[in-house]
Amino acid sequence: MQAENIDYIRFGIVSPEEVKRISVAKLNVPDTYNEDGYPIDGGLLDQRLGVIDPGLICKTCGARAKTCPGHFGHIELVKPTIHSEFSKIIYMVLQATCLNCHRILLDEEQIAELRTKEVEDIAAENQANVNVESTDEEKETSHQISKQKLKQKKVKRTKKCPYCDEEQPKIKFSQPTYFTVGDRRLKPDEIRDMLAKISDGDLRFLNIDPQRSRPEWLILTSLLVPPVNVRPSITLESGERSEDDLTHKLVDIMRINQRLEQNINAGAPQIIIDDLWELLQYHVTAYFNNETSGIPPARHRSGRALKTLAQRLKGKEGRFRYNLSGKRVNYSARTVISVDPYLDINEVGVPQEIAEKLTVPFYVTAWNIERAKELLTSKTYPLVLNMIMQDGKRIRLIDANREELLKNLATGTILERQIINGDIALFNRQPSLHRISIMAHKMKVLPGKTFRINYCTTAPYNADFDGDEMNLHVPQTLEAQAEARYLMQVQYQIFSPRDGAAIITNSEDGISGMYSLTNDGNKLTMDEACYLLGICNVYELPKADKDGMYSGKDIFSMILPKDMDYVQETSRGRFVIKKGKLVEGVVTKETYGRDNGLSIKIAMDYGYDELRRFIYISSKLSDAYVTLAGVTVGVKEYSIDQKAEEEKTKILNETFKKVEDLIVEYRSGKLEPLIGYTPKESLERMIIAELNLARSKAGEYLAKHSDADNSAVQMARSGSRGSILNLEQMSMFLGQQATLSGGRIKRGYYTGRVLPHIMPNDYGPAARGFIVTNYYSGLSPVDLFMHAVGSRGSEVYKALLTGRSGYLYRRLSNALQDYYVRKDLSVRDINNNIIQTIYGGDAIDPVKVQFAKMAEKE
Amino acid sequence: MANVKGKRFIVNYGEPVGMIAAQSIGEPGTQMILRTFHYAGIEATIATSGLPRIVELVDARKKPATPITYIYLNSSTRNSFEKAEAVAKKINEVNMGAITRRSIENFSKGAIKFILDEQTLAANELTPQQVAQKLAKSMEVHTKVDKGGDIIVRLKTKKLSEIRAINVKIMKKTIQGVEGAGKAVIQRSKDGEFYIVAAGSNVEALIDIDGIDKTRLYTNDVFAMNRLFGIEAARNTLIRELKNTLDEQKIDVDERHIALVADAMTYSGDIKGVGRHGLSGQKNSVFAKAAYEETVKHLVNAAAFGEIDPMRGVTENILVGKQIPIGTGSVRLAIKKEDLKKAKPVK
Repeated sequence: MQAENIDYIRFGIVSPEEVKRISVAKLNVPDTYNEDGYPIDGGLLDQRLGVIDPGLICKTCGARAKTCPGHFGHIELVKPTIHSEFSKIIYMVLQATCLNCHRILLDEEQIAELRTKEVEDIAAENQANVNVESTDEEKETSHQISKQKLKQKKVKRTKKCPYCDEEQPKIKFSQPTYFTVGDRRLKPDEIRDMLAKISDGDLRFLNIDPQRSRPEWLILTSLLVPPVNVRPSITLESGERSEDDLTHKLVDIMRINQRLEQNINAGAPQIIIDDLWELLQYHVTAYFNNETSGIPPARHRSGRALKTLAQRLKGKEGRFRYNLSGKRVNYSARTVISVDPYLDINEVGVPQEIAEKLTVPFYVTAWNIERAKELLTSKTYPLVLNMIMQDGKRIRLIDANREELLKNLATGTILERQIINGDIALFNRQPSLHRISIMAHKMKVLPGKTFRINYCTTAPYNADFDGDEMNLHVPQTLEAQAEARYLMQVQYQIFSPRDGAAIITNSEDGISGMYSLTNDGNKLTMDEACYLLGICNVYELPKADKDGMYSGKDIFSMILPKDMDYVQETSRGRFVIKKGKLVEGVVTKETYGRDNGLSIKIAMDYGYDELRRFIYISSKLSDAYVTLAGVTVGVKEYSIDQKAEEEKTKILNETFKKVEDLIVEYRSGKLEPLIGYTPKESLERMIIAELNLARSKAGEYLAKHSDADNSAVQMARSGSRGSILNLEQMSMFLGQQATLSGGRIKRGYYTGRVLPHIMPNDYGPAARGFIVTNYYSGLSPVDLFMHAVGSRGSEVYKALLTGRSGYLYRRLSNALQDYYVRKDLSVRDINNNIIQTIYGGDAIDPVKVQFAKMAEKE
Repeated sequence: MANVKGKRFIVNYGEPVGMIAAQSIGEPGTQMILRTFHYAGIEATIATSGLPRIVELVDARKKPATPITYIYLNSSTRNSFEKAEAVAKKINEVNMGAITRRSIENFSKGAIKFILDEQTLAANELTPQQVAQKLAKSMEVHTKVDKGGDIIVRLKTKKLSEIRAINVKIMKKTIQGVEGAGKAVIQRSKDGEFYIVAAGSNVEALIDIDGIDKTRLYTNDVFAMNRLFGIEAARNTLIRELKNTLDEQKIDVDERHIALVADAMTYSGDIKGVGRHGLSGQKNSVFAKAAYEETVKHLVNAAAFGEIDPMRGVTENILVGKQIPIGTGSVRLAIKKEDLKKAKPVK
């Protein structure tokens, strides 16, 4: 439901008269309940301020607990108090005006100059706020801040008032509410009188709108008390009542207020009155903001600082960010996710239990009223849970009222029915870092208690199945459903808006199988071919080879679009598809491609739905083939033979020799330093380069000499999982461990060494965290220590980085959220300022950037 | 490129490109690593990289943590190492601290003795006399070189705190080269051309050095680029720096996103950061500002000055539960409310 149209919202300060107008009750009893547990009249929970207990009736509006909106009351303060949040503004106004005649400290000339300037400002501002109608009073629209302007206007304390020639003494302000002239403290009532004497015209020069915010209103004489709805008291299990922090503070204010009144009436000495007055000021200050600098925060009995008005609004858990920018919703569900490769990538498996609780509206029209009747009479899933009448009343369907509701069924009523297969839902995993963290899926009701998704869609969500939970939202209006279905569905989100690369694509087993299947010379029997193609819903066989076998490439070709032509140069040679047949090459991660490859080709030429089908079918095919052919990783994959062992020793010996030479060279002062570096820095850099080279050499050797049927190598080559580096670290050696700053580990024990057994000033590999053991044979104690140093460092750094990058994202999104593309392809903000005349210079959608690149090439 | 063979790749109307740009830069933030090894390239200093550099750029900090200036040479100097070296020597900033081994303060006489490091002095082809002269001129103090080659600076004051302050000031004094240019190192590009990389960004002074190619002077200091070449250059510098930083981390972000951030920061004519003092803090919506940071302050000011919130932005509409005016929400009926009132029901 949309809110009524809001043209604009204007802020202002509530005047004492306004307070009295708003208020429904003058409160004068500094207490809440009487002995009978009944709200005291004139107390802080006066029933005129609204009711929160069920059963009671509001004495102002006659409504009951949930319908009564609450009403404001007020407290008459015996002595005026400063609204501490505004003291800086009060100070500004005092400084800008004469203490004697209360005119603005500007002479005629400056005023004349300002007048012209002001007119210009107003004109400029009217331009900016085109929607805000400029009313009869032109000046009303000139509100842009002020403080800086004031400084420009030179309305600083001049020595003499240009009007009454009075010397202007310096006014001192100290937090939170103290104003002094010379040695004399200005009391709130004095300040109030002074502010009241400033003319409306003069205030306009300070950018203050006298109609809405007279400065003397900043000194409170009557304090508005919020309705009880705002500060509900809670009843504990013990039956004891616990009041809200605001109520506590208001009780304090009223108590002191009453005592002050009694003392004044009794003619108490000035000093006592002043003390109480000060105390009243303190309580009022704490009531507005309990974190005001210069006052000790008011505390609860338990020692916890009270949460007063400012604390309610402020910060991450405050009203703005917690309740207004982020809202709680209905029609949503959350549970653990798990994997189901038999679901299409745009589907989500929803547990029966959830499907029976969530509903979707069924709008009854003349054309579907028969179906509506069926639904309403049905006693098995899918049921109708609620019916919404034409007047908006929601009635829960129970067996007892089914007949009656059936009678009332008519066009314009809405039925809320349970979720069925094919209903659209938004699926989300936090943190929602980019727009593809929320995508629309078609729901499929399944047994079990978890949400299920195809593993190809884990990448955009950054999800895995180690216990991750995700949220599901069911759009209710037809507009929302349409937007979800046609803009947000998974197949339309395959390409990331960040760089146009395919983010949803085959992965893991979805690649491994393809790689083995399409490998050169791979042949399948007819049984195997039929089995595989059946899984792909293909019910014809490709042409068999002479020996009656079917080539893997031909099986793969069966799921390609029939007339597809495609050529790609990959690191594993050419990949050629001719007329829908794979004639050359093998499928790897690269073939599917992030920024170049099959995905882009299919999406561009055959559409997103075809690509969705292809990803789904091909990963199913791949899974099936992996299961059939058996790709498995065991210890065998990581054990190395004698020759590799010798190679490892050779590489390490060579490297250590080179490092040793470098150190000797450095020690003798003969080391030629790198440009811009000291010899010591140069040495370090050269050593690190040498050590990293050793690791890549070992990796290269493994890649070259491993068995062809080594599954780990196959996985690394096809890009489905793991890399040669992983393999190398498991079966050769771990290599250099790095610290946070990127250098080698060099501190730990005192006198500049890592561990006590290392000699000081040892620059050698072993002394600075180069690990020669591997995961297969296990790490030596010293190596384990070095490894832990590196791991701990990166763990600490990761925690640090997430916080920082989260804040960066918040700032960026806040600054840029109002920018959008207009029909003329310019980027503008909400106020029509042009940010870019043509988006990105060429108006190309980043999502389609890779398409454009491929189209260019063709 | 927007239309190729009848295929359209144009961005959709209403697309929230700002938000997408923010997400595209914000999302890979966690993937960034602080350290990047530049084993191959040798820079004069190790430049700030990764997330800290992105934050620095987007915040519009007045001075980068590691300013670097690339000084290309003109046709007469770029091809010879000797000539390039001569230019570099003119630029390379040597301050007093770099050539001093120790300074001794004499409070009874009101003097400071600087014991110079002969090696570095020689490396920079300086003599104690030259240094003394330079100091006398720039600091307006009386200097003297004693027999040991040490410099004695006589001061008018004998107060400890003042002598200390002057000592610190002298140590920072530029003796040779361009003040604020930092350490200058000669590099050779792939096409064999010599150029200079300096660890400072005093481009105003550098541009007047003879033998350099003024048209190619480049620094990673966005504000310096703005002062020297104007806002467009600053925008381009921002794009280039952001892109380089992301590329270094092997993070692919479309240039359009980066350009939008840079344009947002510069479209007003001067450089604004994205934080509460920049773009976000200068919004005209009270609610948008209050929902971002410093909630109470914005509300108080709005009340005191009777500000108006036009309620048009994304945040404001979300706060009151309205559809946002962007994306599919930007489509509105082109009919005036007043006209609707005049409408008569169809019979």
